[in-house]
This record gives sequence, C-alpha cells and structure tokens, in this order.
Amino acid sequence: MGTDQASQHTFTVELNEPAAEGVYRMRIRSSVAHAMRPGQFMNLAVPGDASHVLRIPLSFSRIDSKGGSVELLYALVGEGTRRLSQMAVGDTSTVVGPCGNGWSLPSGEGRALLVAGGIGLPPILACARMLAQERIGFDVVVGARTGSMVVLPDSDEVLHYGGVQLPENGWEGGYDPDRIVTLTTDDGTLGSVPGKKMFATDGMADLLRRRSYAQVYTCGPTPMMAAVARIALDHDIPCQVSMERLMGCGFGACSCCNVALAKGGYALCCQDGPVFDARELAW
Amino acid sequence: MVSTVSMAVDLGGIKMRNPLNTASGTFGNGVQFEGFYDVGATLGAITCKGVAAEPWDGNPAPRLAELPSAIMNSVGLQNPGVEGFVERYGTYLAGLREKGCQVICQIAGHSLDEYRRATELFEELAPFASGFEVNISCPNIAAGGAAMGATPNAAAEVMSAVRPLTDRPVIVKMAPHDVAEIGRALEAAGADALSLINTIPGMAIDVHTRRSRVARPTAGVSGPAIHAIAVRMVWECAQAVRIPLCGIGGVASGTDAAEMILAGATAVSVGTANLYDPTCVPRILSELEQWAAEQGVSDINELIGAFEC
Repeated sequence: MGTDQASQHTFTVELNEPAAEGVYRMRIRSSVAHAMRPGQFMNLAVPGDASHVLRIPLSFSRIDSKGGSVELLYALVGEGTRRLSQMAVGDTSTVVGPCGNGWSLPSGEGRALLVAGGIGLPPILACARMLAQERIGFDVVVGARTGSMVVLPDSDEVLHYGGVQLPENGWEGGYDPDRIVTLTTDDGTLGSVPGKKMFATDGMADLLRRRSYAQVYTCGPTPMMAAVARIALDHDIPCQVSMERLMGCGFGACSCCNVALAKGGYALCCQDGPVFDARELAW
Repeated sequence: MVSTVSMAVDLGGIKMRNPLNTASGTFGNGVQFEGFYDVGATLGAITCKGVAAEPWDGNPAPRLAELPSAIMNSVGLQNPGVEGFVERYGTYLAGLREKGCQVICQIAGHSLDEYRRATELFEELAPFASGFEVNISCPNIAAGGAAMGATPNAAAEVMSAVRPLTDRPVIVKMAPHDVAEIGRALEAAGADALSLINTIPGMAIDVHTRRSRVARPTAGVSGPAIHAIAVRMVWECAQAVRIPLCGIGGVASGTDAAEMILAGATAVSVGTANLYDPTCVPRILSELEQWAAEQGVSDINELIGAFEC
C-alpha cells in the first residue's frame, strides 16, 4: 500500500486513563481520524517541555472516522509518554498523520492469525476490526509479560476477551463464534491455560496445530516478531509485521528509522512501513 | 500582514525570493512536506538530501537518539545515487523551480574522484538544480565527509576538484570547526557561498549496556541546543570571507533566523525543527518579515551582518 500524505491536525484529549500496569488508554478528537487506515500511525506533540523536541509516534487501536475520534494505547516508556499520560481531558496539541502504510487484507482465502505482544496490541486490535468488518475469520494470540500488564478491552471490543471470568478453552466472542482468543503471560499469572507460563509464540504454535491460516499479522517486541515470522514462514503462511523504531519525523524526511532488508540495504520504518512483509526484512 | 520589506537575497548567484532554505537531510526532498504547506510557493530555496554518484546504504540502526533540546543522528547519507535521485524527484523538483523556489542539490562523496563523478552526473542529469552544495562535513561516514573538510588544504582540494565541472553556483557545507581559516581556503578555491554549520559530532552512551545509543560511537548533534554555537561560527566566518553565507544550526523561530542574519548570514536554513514541527517554515518566514519591518529597513539585505558589538 502506498503512503498517504501526512499533514498536521489539532487534537483534543477526550479520555486519558490507566488501562493496565504501565499502559494508558487515550481517546482524542481530531480531524486526523478521517484520514487513518488500520496499521498506520500518528505522531503526537506533547506540550509543556520544549527541551523534549521529538513527537511520540503511536499506532491506534480503534478509530471512529465519522465521529472523528481515535483511541490509542501507549506504554509509559520514557519522559515523553510520562508527560503524555498527564494530559488532561480537554487539553489540546497537534498530531501529524496519517503516517506510513497500513495492514493489507489477506491475499488468499482462509482465516487470519493475529499475534500481539505487549504494547504491540493496538495495531493488532485495529487489524482485528478491519478483518471483522470484511467478515474475514481470524483468531488472536495476545501475549504479555505478566497479568497486571494485560490490557482488558472494552465491553464492545471485537475480540471480546474482557475480564478473567472466561471459558477455560480460550477467550471467544465478538462476531465470530468460531474465534479463538488465546491470552498468554510469560510468568503464567494470567492466561487461557491457568498458571501456565507461555509466550505468545507458544499460543501461536498451539493454534497452528489446530487450524490452518492464510495470513499472519503480528506486532510486538522485535524478538517475538522475528520468532512469529519464522514460524509463519516455516508453515508457508504470509506474515505482515508492524515494526517499531525511534523516529525523527514520521513521514520520510530524515531517514533515521531504518529497517534492514533481506536483499541488503534499508527501508524507512515511517515511510515504507511500519507494516512490512516479513520476508522482505533481515531478521 | 503584507510585507513592506524586500526579502529577496542572493546566495552566491542563487537568487532567493526570501532567505529561508532547508538544511540537507532534514527535509527529505521537499515532497514529504506538501501535506503541511505549499513548499514551492513558500521557501526561498530547498537543499536536497546528500547524493553520491552511486547509491549508499547508510549506517545500521539505530540512527537516532534524543537529547535535551537536540537530537543526534547517524544516518550516514543513505541515498539512491544521482540517477535514482533524479528519476524519483526530478519532476517534482523541476516543479519547485517553476514556482520560484530554488533547488540546491547536495553532492556527497568518499574521495575526490567520487565528488567529481557525482558533480558530472548532476551536471548532466539535473537541469532543475539552481546550484550545488558540496558536503565536506558529514560526521557519520567512515571515509570522506568530515575528513574531507578537516583542514583548509583538504577542503580547498575538494572545491578545486568540483569547480571546473560546473558553471552553476557551488556552496560548501562546512564542519563546525576552524570556520574562518577553512572558509578563506574555500573562498580562494572558488566557492560561491558557504553553509554552516553541519551537525556537531557527539556521543551518547547507554550506561546500562555501556554501548552507544546509536549504532556508531559518535553521531551528529543538531537542534536548538547548538544554535548559539552556530551563530558564533557564522559570525566568525563572516569576518573572514567576502562570499555570502547560509546560516544553519538550531533555527526554530524568526528570532533564531534573525540572529543568523545579524551575525552575517545572507540565507538561513531550517533543519531539525522541520522534523518535529513540520509547519514551522511559513511561521518562521512571517516572524522574520515582521522583525525586519520592526527594524525599519526596506530591504532585508540591510540587516545582514548588522550585529553591533
């Protein structure tokens, strides 16, 4: 998919509250909502400290393009995101977007498998909504380090894995009664298999034994995505990965967010990604 | 506000409708900013990303670290080569010229021969170029770059190699040291103008891993934190040469641009601010015009080097 032209929009904070340990959920009202596609990201300016010059690039989990609102989930990883978490309802700033390309629909027929790790969850939620809208069946693995860091979705969440009172065989729901949603935690404090220490890739391997898939989508820590991509490609399943980089601009001006390519050389995460075909990257 | 001050300047033969230019490597090749404002109708000139005769991959990731009021980058002049550059951006850049925005193409190289070959290719393939900027100051490449501009002799050698190959104006992008001495050598070697400063080499160490925060031990520091250093160097260089200067370094406001002009710059490039505040150029231009009007001049040229000490 081609890159859309980024422009600057104002935004107003509508909601900004803790969603899990070290994770915030934010809803903004902004005209940028009209231009965004699932998997793209936006670059937010956080006011109040001129010494932190760079914006904060964030993917979104949900968009209401008619109503003009965007929902973001972000981890508190540094001073910028800490200050973002202190923005109050009604505060305004600017956002640059849409940035990058988005997810592509599966090229073949069949179910899709979505694998999210940690704060890689938001673009996977956006991907799930995209697929649900297209009536494409999908299963999901959501991985986190520990139970307290699991983001519990809203009641109307497409994935509908909300809460811990769930069927033992996995968290199911949404529009598709066949959907399997597997939750894993590295330490086993919360998960579809109670008490079992599991990585997202373990959940993925389990689903691959039970079902066949036409497409894998993944976002999370780079080592996890590398493992997911390897498993997918071993099963001859195309895999789209959403990469993360520290970014200077977010729209192709500075060439600072390079991603190494399998054929040699580099692509830019902001302009050529953040979504890439896993086969194109050097892992 | 309709400006009553004439803003046009002449940067060594490059006739700019206003003093605002963009620092190479911070502005893509212009087209990335079209969603923010009309580039061709706004800027006096743009300076494109550095391009060598053949494509360069640039440096590994990570290439960027954020610092207080600054960033440091280690991009290493990733570029598609002159042919790839012209193929991708030639039509767009020709369109900028038609709108009255000058187009400065930046020449990169690892050796005298590479600078010559890139200049020859540009001369042949880039009729849209108003002039060239020779980059002898990139701190992020192993050979060439800053090494080529480290001494007056080495810098003059590059300029002398490029000079006979083009009749178009040639600007030299200088490293942030010995700017008076090296500036004089470049002027003698035939430079039409000088641009300064390039990023300042710096280091940022992750003390937990004991490794650099970027993929190389050192990288180039830019942004508001280096502005005062850049103004001082523009002033020192302006005392030493007669050719015009383009002031670069941490410019993020009309006041910053005005300081550069008072210190002796004919033109002013906006760099890092483009990345985090992509609509800043039109604002800086209007602030600069307002300042010139408040100074009571009819022509911005009256304010070049008008610093009083």
